[in-house]
Amino acid sequence: MKRHLLTVSLITLIAAPFAAAAHQLVVFASVDCAAVTVEAKFSNGRVTQQGEVRVLDGENNLLTTLELESDGTVLVPLDSVDHSGGLLIEVDTGSHDNYWIVTPEDIARKCGS
Amino acid sequence: MRKLSLVGFVRIWLAIATVVASLSAALAQDRPRVVAVNQALQSFAEQLLGDAADVVFLVPEGVDPSFWRPSIADISAVQSADLILLNGAGFATWVDRVSLPRSRVVNTSKSIEDQFIYTETITHSHGDGGEHSHEGVASYTWLDPMLAIAQAEAIAAAVIARDLAPAEDVETRLDRLRSDLTDLDKTSQDALSGLEGVAIIATHPRYQYFARRYGLMIASLEWDAGATPSAEDLADLKAHLAQNDARVLLWEAHPSQEATALTEALGLNNVVFEPWASAGSQNSFIEAYKRAVLELSEAARQSSN
Repeated sequence: MKRHLLTVSLITLIAAPFAAAAHQLVVFASVDCAAVTVEAKFSNGRVTQQGEVRVLDGENNLLTTLELESDGTVLVPLDSVDHSGGLLIEVDTGSHDNYWIVTPEDIARKCGS
Repeated sequence: MRKLSLVGFVRIWLAIATVVASLSAALAQDRPRVVAVNQALQSFAEQLLGDAADVVFLVPEGVDPSFWRPSIADISAVQSADLILLNGAGFATWVDRVSLPRSRVVNTSKSIEDQFIYTETITHSHGDGGEHSHEGVASYTWLDPMLAIAQAEAIAAAVIARDLAPAEDVETRLDRLRSDLTDLDKTSQDALSGLEGVAIIATHPRYQYFARRYGLMIASLEWDAGATPSAEDLADLKAHLAQNDARVLLWEAHPSQEATALTEALGLNNVVFEPWASAGSQNSFIEAYKRAVLELSEAARQSSN
């Protein structure tokens, strides 16, 4: 019994780096003064070819919903949403989801104010 | 000399109070602001900075800071901090979902990355954080007091480099904190020696660095912190008990009466060991740790007799 537990512990400590390969959805958003560029890909490097992009404001109100392009990106024009309180970008592929937070300061910094 | 009337006295007193209050508010506003991603780092930073800065931990009580989903306003507050203390080791998944000012970010476990423990991948769901995984690296590094010292040293170096407090004061406080953590390690070594072969089960995977430091065998369940175990949870526990005759169950928060009764009925001795990640701990990190170690020691020795 003790040997079993020790074995489990050793497997966990030694072999686990290889078990950490389960993929996750990685979402990134960059801002310039005109738009937010949303990029989504899986942590194994595979491009996310489809997925729903939800754009919410600071109060979690849904502002708009977009579809990812086949290259895993989508543009959110800043003049299409009220971005004064920042934007919460959620990407949902159906099986995986993740988010990125764009603050008002992120946008202001890119607009030189 | 003219006597001061009561009204005059009250007026003067009010004027002085107003000035003092204004000065206090101004000083508080002028103080640097440090954000920490868990309560242990907050505690270390507070001890190192004294009154020189406000150390903030934004995660609400009852929310697992590893999987906290901040609001936009929370991130604005983080971005404007003078220093942002990350734990590293995969702790606080939100830090990879926002832009942080690199010059003000410190990864407190950078110097101990070669001592990280890699773990299995387990995906599950609980609390507000939705479905998530415990994978890759065990995060609760500070539960090994030697690693905690390294993290405290990283905080002190960052504080001094950014001139957030006088270097001499920080170094004196670091010496004290280092000494306290070394004493804690000694107490733990003494209390836990001889328990290397005793099977212990934890309700959540929190104690990997603690177990390694003191040579303990701690298997982990995936129970929701603070919730009464479900039938599935209990079946999982029984499966563990069938493999090893553990008699000690570690909780990160006080279990409910119902949970206590259910686990005691399985012959388990419940011990609470707050890992000091979340807000709400009543005692200091050192006191809470020491108490948990002594209770664990007693429970494990009872069960091994």
